[in-house]
Amino acid sequence: MKKYFTKAIIMVLVFILAFSMVACGNGKNADINKEENISATQGKNNEEKEESKPIKLRIYAQYADDDTKVPYDYALEALKKEMPNVELELDVQAQDDGQKIKTYAATGNLPDIFQANLDIINTFRTSNNILVLDEYVEKFGFEEKMHPSAMNTLYTDDGHCYAFPYAGNELVLLYYNKEIFEQNGVEVPKSYDQLLQAVKIFNSKGIIPLALFAKEKWPCVALFDIFATRMEPQGIKKLDSGEGRVSEESYTIAAQRIVELVKAGLLPKGATNLNYDQAAALFRQGKAAMFLNGQWEIEASTEVLGDKVDWMYYPAYDLSTYESTKYAFSGGGGPSGYAVSPRAKYKDVAAEVAAFLSLKYAECKYTMRGNPIIATKVDAPIVKPYPPMMEKLSQDIPKITSTTAFAWGLANAKFKAAIEDHTQKLLTGFYSAEDFVKDMDKVLNEIASSN
Amino acid sequence: MYKYLRNKVAILIFTLPALIVFSVIVFYPIIQTFYKSMFDWNGLGKGTFIFLDNYKRLLKDSIFHISIRNGLIFAAVLAVLQIGIGTFLAFAVSDIALKGRNFLRITYFIPVVLSITVVCQLWLSIYNEEFGLINKLMEQLGFLYRQNWLSSEKSAIYAVAVVNAWQYMGYHFALILAAVKSLPEQYFEAARIDGAGKIKAHISITIPLLYETYKFCLILAVTGGLNAFANMYIMTNGGPGDVTYTLTFLMYRSAFRVNEFGYGCAAAAVLVIECLLATIIINKSFRRKQITY
Repeated sequence: MKKYFTKAIIMVLVFILAFSMVACGNGKNADINKEENISATQGKNNEEKEESKPIKLRIYAQYADDDTKVPYDYALEALKKEMPNVELELDVQAQDDGQKIKTYAATGNLPDIFQANLDIINTFRTSNNILVLDEYVEKFGFEEKMHPSAMNTLYTDDGHCYAFPYAGNELVLLYYNKEIFEQNGVEVPKSYDQLLQAVKIFNSKGIIPLALFAKEKWPCVALFDIFATRMEPQGIKKLDSGEGRVSEESYTIAAQRIVELVKAGLLPKGATNLNYDQAAALFRQGKAAMFLNGQWEIEASTEVLGDKVDWMYYPAYDLSTYESTKYAFSGGGGPSGYAVSPRAKYKDVAAEVAAFLSLKYAECKYTMRGNPIIATKVDAPIVKPYPPMMEKLSQDIPKITSTTAFAWGLANAKFKAAIEDHTQKLLTGFYSAEDFVKDMDKVLNEIASSN
Repeated sequence: MYKYLRNKVAILIFTLPALIVFSVIVFYPIIQTFYKSMFDWNGLGKGTFIFLDNYKRLLKDSIFHISIRNGLIFAAVLAVLQIGIGTFLAFAVSDIALKGRNFLRITYFIPVVLSITVVCQLWLSIYNEEFGLINKLMEQLGFLYRQNWLSSEKSAIYAVAVVNAWQYMGYHFALILAAVKSLPEQYFEAARIDGAGKIKAHISITIPLLYETYKFCLILAVTGGLNAFANMYIMTNGGPGDVTYTLTFLMYRSAFRVNEFGYGCAAAAVLVIECLLATIIINKSFRRKQITY
């Protein structure tokens, strides 16, 4: 009897142990194909009176360098005054192609507010993981606060708003060290031939012509786009939309020219393993004549190089087309910004906070970071005067004839991954332009046939 | 004790918790992966059942072919370097005549405990084409040879594999050393009496007796090579282009860059089958009668 009692106790203990070690489901079903309606106009939240009850919201946002920390801190300080009962718990965004946020979505653990780019918006809207903000755009009068030229950053192609934007249509710029050019008797190139000549001269003098942080794939795409837009203003955007093929003359020539420039020594050795810090250091220490980055680089480069640095218009296809194409820029904006989880406990508050943060984020960039390329209007005095490069850009913005997109702003994820990989390969010297055209067109044809 | 070992119910009860944990954490996700590989799925919705279309697509995908080839290269490099150098060092350290054995034993194991990020950053500096140790050493020695270690289509995957081999060689060294230490001394005494030198003794006695250890080390090296991801993610991000892709990297790309989780699961399923096949082949190749003297 005692023996059976002992055995029974042992079995009970073992089963308790087994069940306690198996992860219990938390009831959050990642399978979102439910009847729940995530539209902001339906359903009821557990709203408390936001004026009185302290509310804690999780926010997933970039917080890596001054360009992201300063605006975020500025917006947070403003939020504390505007909505003192709201506390934000920051979950720093990882630079991981959206892995972390997509994992959050899959596990039903999305933060209340998160920064979303077009890729995230497109992925999340089909699986009901992002709140439609149309109602809130109207409620907060957000559209009236937008720059007319930046309206493309507010609404996606389906006409809905999924994120409150702060960044405007940003641009790819080709920075150059004026002193290096002058010392070596090189004129700022206005055409491809002049650029090729400049590359050869700099190489002969032991100067790196272009410092490119090609370990990140987007600069490789941007470099390709710079050349492509000299003949086709729509650049990679046309390919992304499926309207173009890389075998078209403009893209083929762009690829051929990049290969030629790389063989002539355009890039530092091991460029595909250079990160931003290394490439920027080469440029700022005067070892490289040119540098490619977004216009947000103006602040940092001016701080180090002062008057020695400027940006140039992209070298044209040939000298005769320089004036007509100089305002066709690479880069651009798209729907992105602060988005809200449809499962946020305090949806209305989260949407209000998201809208407020985006306005203040943009305000800080405009007034304190010397960056006028924002999505929303700002009614505050400029604290930090614009550096000369930004002044020059500000005067050119109204003249811009076309923009394209940054790699992260491309709508088709498969095309984005392919063009990132193949443009990076183009910079190695062992990958021919013909292979690039063939491989990229194969991808575009596959995308077209699957649509 | 005999009574308990005969009691199958007791055995089942005591192994059940571990079995449940293993099933939940290992077996169930594998089954799920195979299941989801038959869907066109973005990781968030329900997905569309497409049966084997993902596998058909994989077979035509050039990135898949590159990944398979790189996985095999990686596995081969790990097997040769980790086991080869591990064996040499273990035999050397097991020799009591060698001074500083204890220090060497610890030193060889240090890379194993380092963070993979630290190791990769270290080797990124060593491989740097402009200022790296290897190219600079060539320059100092007067050689003209320079190599774009991580940017070259030919050398990139080997360069990354060497990093992994270097880091985990100490692990195989420790395993082989422990096995060598466990061998009875009388075999070596007998060999010495018969006039065998150290090398002959190792070839004729040590290596045959370490058969099971080598089998285990080979399985670890090969499956580790096929599964490689972290090194290429940190050092090259799969690049330049897709030159250093492996199946795990293809999985990552499909899932997180292209939002094709179903396709990524198909790559994962192929990887599981590949590792399983490798293990079966190695087990079959190493199957023979236990050697006793």
